[in-house]
This record gives sequence, structure tokens and C-alpha cells, in this order.
Amino acid sequence: MLDFFNRNFGRFLVEQSGNPVADAATALSSGHTMRKGGRPQRIASGWAIVRPGRSTMQFELAAAGIDYSKLTRYEAFLAELEAWDGTPRMFLEFAKRPVPVANLFRTFDLRSIRICSPTGVETFDFTQPPEKDGCKIHKVLWKLKKGDK
Amino acid sequence: MDRIKVTAHLLAPVVTGGGYMTFDGLLAALLFDRLQDVDVAHAAVPIRQSDGLFHASAAIMEATREHVAFIAALRPDHSIDPDLILKNKHGQLHRKFDTSLTNVMNSYALLTAPTVTWYAEGDPERIRQLVEPVEFIGKRRASGFGRVARWDIEPDDLDGIEGPFGEPLRPVPVERFGGDKSHPVVDAAWRPAYWNPLHRTACYAPV
Repeated sequence: MLDFFNRNFGRFLVEQSGNPVADAATALSSGHTMRKGGRPQRIASGWAIVRPGRSTMQFELAAAGIDYSKLTRYEAFLAELEAWDGTPRMFLEFAKRPVPVANLFRTFDLRSIRICSPTGVETFDFTQPPEKDGCKIHKVLWKLKKGDK
Repeated sequence: MDRIKVTAHLLAPVVTGGGYMTFDGLLAALLFDRLQDVDVAHAAVPIRQSDGLFHASAAIMEATREHVAFIAALRPDHSIDPDLILKNKHGQLHRKFDTSLTNVMNSYALLTAPTVTWYAEGDPERIRQLVEPVEFIGKRRASGFGRVARWDIEPDDLDGIEGPFGEPLRPVPVERFGGDKSHPVVDAAWRPAYWNPLHRTACYAPV
């Protein structure tokens, strides 16, 4: 699982030491050179979608090998889920606190989508409407899917 | 090794931080308390293994589920990410930048059910010796959650891996699962230590 993260995302941010846990933790918690210049910054906002081969994120780093997008997290996640080819994905939400390595999970099936964030992991079935007490991201994505504003 | 059904009769709701609460994980935790060595504890779990896969189900509960949060008051000296702390003029970390308590909120799931059930294939007598002294399970045990009234161990037909309809009873790596493959594939730890992200792989697992 961490091989997937490091191979498709982490290695573009930090040199790989051979310790996958440490490498992933460093990628998520250390400062990285920004595209706009200035001091290195930790990824403290936005989102990322890790795919086999080429990943995309919102926070504009200088790192090559990653695509950058200005979509909101909901727009990006919805587009990904609607056009998904069935290969594994990792959906990440960033915030001020780093995403702990323990919160990294891949998604393999639309019936069990996992959104990884600093505060935990949200899991939902994207083939079904959200329950009343379902997670926020499922409700927002479902509304967007139906075309509601 | 016998096929058994283990039932914990509960007197209080169980608090969990997530995960499948497999029976081998529970026994490994009990053994670790005594042995203080992760590998030795896992090797001593009295449950059948097939190439590292324990024949022990996840916890089965017909439970109502609520979110709960507990506040922990911590001194931040050793727990905070050093990257977040202002460095001194020499570029080094201040040893103590604050002595006040920091409140941290931890979120859990609260599961209310009369019983928790597991299916497993193992040594019933050794399992009984391990679980009978256990009065609490789950997290927040010191606060009274997860109190167990009694343990029942009885013979059963299930092997702890597949249910009667071929459904997964625990996380099983995709390539090793011979049951009903219509279930969703998830990223899950399939062997202890279940907290270790290196043990996660694509699995069929209980919904």
C-alpha cells in the first residue's frame, strides 16, 4: 500500500530511503519547494489523487512528475470517480496538520470509497445515496453528481 | 484445532477507533500484555494460521452506532510535530516552549449491542484461559466501556475466514480468497499487527 503511495506520488517529493513508512511520512510532513518560489512549504491545503503512473494535486509545488489542477476537491474527486477505469486510487485531503501514514488507504471499488485526511478516513458507497447521518463528502459529491448546486 | 464460536456478553457499549477487531488481534493484544514482544505474542496466538493468515473472524455485532469524542489533556512536549514549533536563533528546537496543558479531542465509534461474536479455528482451552479474565474490550476500557459479563466458547462449523454464503468474515488478500467475490475490494491489514500500514493489501473484507 505504501509502495503505491511512494512510487506514484512520494518519490517526486522526497528521495526514497528504502523505508516506506518514513518516506511517506516525510513526503506528507516536510517542506517542499513551491512553484511560485519562496521558502519550502508543507502541503497544508488542497487535495491529491494518487493513480498508478501519474498523480494530480492542487497545491502547486515545483516537483515534476505530478500534475497540478485548480479544481476544488469535490470537483476533482467527482470527475475521478465518474471516469474511473477501475485501477487503484488514493484520495487525499490536506489541511494544516499533516495526513498521518496510518490514514493512507487505497480505493479499489466505487462501493467502498476511502477519503484520507489528517483527521481520519471517510468511507462511503458511491453507488448509493448518502444516509442521513452519512459523511459530508459523500453528500456533497452525490449532490454534484445529480447536478444540484 | 477446533472450529469455535466465541461470544462476549456485554454490559456496556464498546468504543472503537475503527478496524475489524479480529479475534486473533484481540488474543495477540492479550498475549503482548504478558510477553511484551510483538513477534513472540503473534507466534503464541492459539489459532490456526495458513501462511500468516489467521483463521479468526472480525468482530460481528448487531449494533447501533454513534460517534463519541473524548478530550485528553496532554503536555505537548513530546507529541507535537517538531516542524510546527518555532526554532530558536540557532535553528534548533526549543526544548520547552510551553508548559500548559493542551486539550486533544479523539473521535471514536460507540457500538451498543448485547453481544460480540467471533468465529475461529483454534485451541478452545487455551483461548478460554486467555479470554476468561478479560473484563473489558475495545478502547476507553478504564472509563467503563466494553465491559464483558461473560465469555461463551462453543463448537461451530465456520472456519473464521468465510461465512455460510461465502462472504468474508475477516480481511483476506484478494489472491487468497476463495469465497463470494462480488463483495467490494478494500485496502486492509490482513495480518497482525493490524495497525501497521505495511500489512495492508487489497482484501475482501466484511462490510
